[in-house]
Amino acid sequence: MRIIVIGMGPAGLSAALRAVEAGHDVRLISKGEGGFQLSQGTLDVLASLDGHQIDQPLVAIASLGPEHPYAGIGADRVREAVNWAAERIGPELLVGSAEHNLVLPTAVGAMRPTAFAQPSMVAAAATREYAVVGVRQLKDMPAELMAGNLGAESAWIDLPARAGEQDPTSLTYARALEDPEFADRFADAVAKAAPPGEVILLPGVLGTRPGTWRRIRDRIGREIAEVPLVPPSVPGIRLHDAMVAAIRAAHVKVVIGSRVVGFEADGDRLSGVRVGIAGRTRTFGADAVIHAPGGFSSGALDVDSYGRITERVFGLPLTADDATGLITPSWFDPQPLFEVGVRADVHGRAVNADNEPVFRNLYVAGDIIAGAQRWIEKSGEGTAIATALRAADGLAEGA
Amino acid sequence: MRHLEAEVVVVGGGSTGVGVARDAAMRGFRTILLERADLGQGTTSRFHGLLHSGGRYVVSDLGSATECAQENAILRRIQPHAIEDTGGFFVVTPDDDPAFADDFLAGAAKTGVPATEIPVAEALRRERLLNPGIKRVIEVADGSVDGWALVWSAARSAQSHGAQVLTYHRATGIQVRDGRVVGISAHDVKNDEQVLIDCSFILNCAGPWAGQVAALAGCHDVNVIPGAGIMIAMNHRLVNTVINRCVYPTDGDILVPVHTVSIIGTTDVKADDPDKLTIPRDQVQQMMDAGSVLIPTFREHRAVHAWAGARPLIKDDRVSSSDTRHMSRGMAVLDHDTRDGIKGMLTIGGGKLTTYRLMAEHIVDAMCEQLGQTRECTTATEPVPGEADGKLYHVTHRLHEREKNRLDEQTICECELLARSQLVSAMKEQPLGTMDDWRRQTRLGMGPCQGGFCSTRAAGIAVAEEVVDHERATGLLRLFLANRWIGLWPILANDQVRQVALDHWMLDGTMSVGHLPALETEIKQ
Repeated sequence: MRIIVIGMGPAGLSAALRAVEAGHDVRLISKGEGGFQLSQGTLDVLASLDGHQIDQPLVAIASLGPEHPYAGIGADRVREAVNWAAERIGPELLVGSAEHNLVLPTAVGAMRPTAFAQPSMVAAAATREYAVVGVRQLKDMPAELMAGNLGAESAWIDLPARAGEQDPTSLTYARALEDPEFADRFADAVAKAAPPGEVILLPGVLGTRPGTWRRIRDRIGREIAEVPLVPPSVPGIRLHDAMVAAIRAAHVKVVIGSRVVGFEADGDRLSGVRVGIAGRTRTFGADAVIHAPGGFSSGALDVDSYGRITERVFGLPLTADDATGLITPSWFDPQPLFEVGVRADVHGRAVNADNEPVFRNLYVAGDIIAGAQRWIEKSGEGTAIATALRAADGLAEGA
Repeated sequence: MRHLEAEVVVVGGGSTGVGVARDAAMRGFRTILLERADLGQGTTSRFHGLLHSGGRYVVSDLGSATECAQENAILRRIQPHAIEDTGGFFVVTPDDDPAFADDFLAGAAKTGVPATEIPVAEALRRERLLNPGIKRVIEVADGSVDGWALVWSAARSAQSHGAQVLTYHRATGIQVRDGRVVGISAHDVKNDEQVLIDCSFILNCAGPWAGQVAALAGCHDVNVIPGAGIMIAMNHRLVNTVINRCVYPTDGDILVPVHTVSIIGTTDVKADDPDKLTIPRDQVQQMMDAGSVLIPTFREHRAVHAWAGARPLIKDDRVSSSDTRHMSRGMAVLDHDTRDGIKGMLTIGGGKLTTYRLMAEHIVDAMCEQLGQTRECTTATEPVPGEADGKLYHVTHRLHEREKNRLDEQTICECELLARSQLVSAMKEQPLGTMDDWRRQTRLGMGPCQGGFCSTRAAGIAVAEEVVDHERATGLLRLFLANRWIGLWPILANDQVRQVALDHWMLDGTMSVGHLPALETEIKQ
């Protein structure tokens, strides 16, 4: 079948790869670069419930309510899905399991559980005896604040990635570390500055490629761990690059920088999507569409100035259409607005309130699906990948 | 317990109080200013940022119009760094009576407010988003003013003339002996210390809180009626000129470009408690509708923040309304000698930011008269420290500054182009401050991301610079996020929803600030 996947975050990339592996002809269309590059660069499955951090995500999935994206999928299929994704991305970039969470420090010194993390990060899960080393040029890892909250000592190194530049992005710094000579100078500066501690925590910029961090660790001669920073997220970009390489190798056609602006339907079936490309609108025919455009953070779900909530491409029915009362006065409380989204049936198709498919061949995956505040419970990648596989595996249903 | 001595104590660190402290100090009075929070934290900063040309009052209140026009010109000379020369338009929208513009022009001529009618086409060329259906446009000399820059530069001027400015000092008692004020006590909130100040005169400039301060001297029934209004900052400069609706003054008729945003204001609803103002949903919708009359696409743009302010209106039967010698328009002076039999205390209500200097002059004149002294006011001629160059700020001033050092120095808040050194100096000036205190000085977190990226950086820098320890920094971070949210949640729509989702993703998701160690007592200020 000709499959169109909309979106290239963890959901869109997983759906495209799964569908092409099943023998479909897959075209992926995306407006942006997807959510991985905004993420912490690990695979979260579930890490927090009712304010409490949890150790066994798959066990906790059983206690989620029926509205949760995991509810219709179940722990076994979630395990299978995230294992599949971790395998495709490969052990050079992801280690861990969905059985027990790894608990890793964040850039402000909180401890954050996640299921799969990068090998460059996991040394931090084995101890709480840290040494924090910040880089003066990187403003997003505040060494003293982070160390204070972790009960660790901290130090700084002062090493511009490019001469005279004090304010590079983390991606600029990561690219500079691909130069072995600079990586060695970096390692020597860290080795000299680092206070005592079992693992040296460093900003998550240790190379754009999977293995670069090892050279730095070996040169320092001590255990190190990368700490994810705010976007652009270098660890997230590594995961993105690995998935994109996988879908390209499998001959998925990729159209990026282009927004889906409409669709064509024949009764209860979609026949194609209209895409804004280079100043004109082009139609791509499809036998099925997997819609994985993200949620509120990507703008796929929109709230207008009257409080009306809409899904932008297909106008899909949502679990709520009025934001009034769904935003609460405390920053630290959950915001029910961000649980609003599309309902899906057991095959992953977008359905209305009566559980009838909106189109027989329109599937949804990832953040567009209602029922979870991913950043609070730390379930973003898990829900994305599990719902993507449900959609890709359910394609036969809409045929 | 600290013991201080002064001739004059000014209570209230808004524009009125700071202006009065500056004036008194410049006339040689030993002066102390007490402010319960940060300067300009109350009414002064919770407005739309308009430096009136006077145009708003040319039909409704001729005296105010003239005062505004004169003070507008004076402030541009003495405090230019707080003012942007935006200019202003009064526009007759399709919903308005075009004949009002004739009354307007006649009033402007009568009151000395510079005003010129310009072709609609020219106005539309200069302001592309303006409603193309407008029928007439009158150009005036409006400006926009940064309330915090204004009060802080006036405060520094007062300090340069010997005044002490004590922020986070809450007045707790007023001592009266034999019918005369002899002192005032205060609580130093940051250091948890009692402060006693011997003084002979108190000028109560506490605005909406003036009734509470007057009561400390046993002067009751000072009837302050806070008139609450909301303002909404829209992302970007939808306009570069102040847009006023050319009608008799009403709600929601001004759009003011200030720094990186455009502010629509305002409503006027009686509030019971100036410390408990809300941003009601119906008023947000009212402002959105009002903005749409001026800018048809208004609702498609992104609101970044909203706030509510309280006007300091005093209603008192005992105000001698005929005695206007020592009053500016819209201002009320209560003399507690004639009113309550207490010498050495005046309470001031009402007023406008644009005429704050003139009000201060009149108040200090009134005090001098009671004291039987003649001391000349010089506030209109002497620029505040460092601003003798007369240069008004321009919206691109931060960009200009960053261009000089963009490679050498980190930009901590990209939205507002805030350099690290600017933030650090604000922290060091107020080491006991909160991130909101530093924000008012630097605009930290006031742009589109509302602290999403810069809040953790700022908390980290405060620890790195040894201004606070990591526990206080963590508490300050939480407080800042909670406070930013107060002005965000009532207006969340359009792309600001995306922004908030990203901010939560980074702060609560990637960094997990919700799981940082809690303090035994959360920081409130």
